[in-house]
Amino acid sequence: MSTIRLVAANDIKRQFAQPFAWILLALTCALLAWQFLIALDAYLRIAPKLDALPNSQGATDLIVIPLLRSLSGLLLLIVPLATMQSLAGERRAHTLPLLLAAGIGNLRIVLGKFLGAFVLVALIVLLAACMPLMLEFGTALDLGRLAVSTIGLLLFAASLTAIGIACSAWTAHPALAAAAALIFGSLLAMIDMGARFQGIDNALINWLSLSTHLEPFFFGLLASVDIVYFLLVTLFALLLAARRLDSLRTRG
Amino acid sequence: MKIPACATKAYDRKRQGSGFLLALLLHRKNNPRGMNQSTPELVIDRVSRNLSGRTIIEDLSLTLDRGEVLGLLGINGAGKSTTLRMISGMLAPSSGRVTLGGLDLYANPERARRDIGYLPEEPPLYGELNVEEYLRFCARLHGIAKPAISAAVEKVIERCELGEMRRRLTSLLSKGFRQRVGLAQAIVHEPALIVLDEPASGLDPIQALRLRTLIRTLAEDHAVVLSTHVLSDVLACCDRVAILHRGRLRHSAVLSEIDAGGALRVQIERDVDTDAWMRMAMVASAQVIDARRWRITLKRDSSAGELAKAINDSGFGLLELRADNNALEEIFVRIAGQGDTIEAAA
Repeated sequence: MSTIRLVAANDIKRQFAQPFAWILLALTCALLAWQFLIALDAYLRIAPKLDALPNSQGATDLIVIPLLRSLSGLLLLIVPLATMQSLAGERRAHTLPLLLAAGIGNLRIVLGKFLGAFVLVALIVLLAACMPLMLEFGTALDLGRLAVSTIGLLLFAASLTAIGIACSAWTAHPALAAAAALIFGSLLAMIDMGARFQGIDNALINWLSLSTHLEPFFFGLLASVDIVYFLLVTLFALLLAARRLDSLRTRG
Repeated sequence: MKIPACATKAYDRKRQGSGFLLALLLHRKNNPRGMNQSTPELVIDRVSRNLSGRTIIEDLSLTLDRGEVLGLLGINGAGKSTTLRMISGMLAPSSGRVTLGGLDLYANPERARRDIGYLPEEPPLYGELNVEEYLRFCARLHGIAKPAISAAVEKVIERCELGEMRRRLTSLLSKGFRQRVGLAQAIVHEPALIVLDEPASGLDPIQALRLRTLIRTLAEDHAVVLSTHVLSDVLACCDRVAILHRGRLRHSAVLSEIDAGGALRVQIERDVDTDAWMRMAMVASAQVIDARRWRITLKRDSSAGELAKAINDSGFGLLELRADNNALEEIFVRIAGQGDTIEAAA
């Protein structure tokens, strides 16, 4: 466990020693803040009319959840940028031999890399989730739903991070790793889009989609099947990455 | 039963009835693999390696003891780096075994690799960290306990003369200092085996000289394998040499035995043939190097003075007569030129 923490801590330190992580964090927060303010402005305009309607939607439905849903789309783009350097960058900079020859197992290296990248991604999710909390000063938010949605986004982000790490293990070119992670992440998120257009929403292809398992969290549903799904995707991708490191040792 | 030196020292310190048991336990702690002192530190046993359907290393066998420096010599593409990657645990052999202190490097990878320090051809430096941060990370990565890290890092900084650069980012270091930091990470955990891939490449002559001195110092406590295609590095640093060519071991010998072959290098004014040399009573063999330069081996109990006298008496016109220090170079050049048989095994 200590070597996993060591590899992760080293990656976090190196990430935040460069401007890239800070810029990524700042730009994402700026974009989400802009969306948040637009949604808030729109809500304030229609709020008097909503008050007159029975069972009308509140700030949680009209501001918080759309913001978090928008973040889920943004994560498909951001996560590959956060993970592309993790193993591909090491291979390109010729630093991977240091880890491979140090006597730590492939899975530990991969888990360390995963944790190192996930910290940055999780920070983005948590900062975005904190943004709507300021509405608590003016209105009553559904904090339980916000918390469940945040958990869902963290699990979704973990799966994308693991996919990014697997892609990063497969190539020595960070840009190629980012492109592959974007394609595979998007593919897994939208794999059931065609089926949905044809009205199929309960088939295996729907079950395979990341979006299918993320959506219930936005409604405040914390289902074990969704949690297990995200954990399985994460585990599978990390095992693929470890397998790739193993083949680097055996096949060269 | 022979009691190990460290055990008897601990026993002397304790001077109590239970001290002996404690001393043996201490020895076991210092020597966790329970290595027999006569077991070679590194054993490469009939190792082969294929990459993309091509044989890179074929049937390689070598051993190395603590206190020895083995030079792997070969032209580019001879298989030196692949061999070092297998020794360091980076690359698994397609067949054969590599054992370190009796432990198979691939059956017990994590335990065995803790005892290896590896400097690849390109030093594995993280440009975002300064020298001290980087070495602290490496120390922890190689399993040094937290309380001992500062002392280990200080020791290696002093040993590799990195004091002035300790706060400098590794990305801003010159080639020589990058190489030194790379070497520092390989030895920070005091491994039993140090593996160095072209450690002097890109260094200026002064830096190369210092590096050789450092390698000789390291060899006092460790087994060292280094690869190079620079003969002077081998002559200056190594106890033994193994020449690889096209993935096969072509020559293996103790360096002092190569130099102590009794050969002399002779330069003369006249063109003569081998028979002219063989007519001299003290000459055992004569080998032409180029037009008027010869490598002469004397018979037992003959001296260079006798040869000089015979050359003068024959009217060859002696220009130069000296001990032949280039035997290794000739062997290397001959092997690199061609040849498919193993020349010697030491």
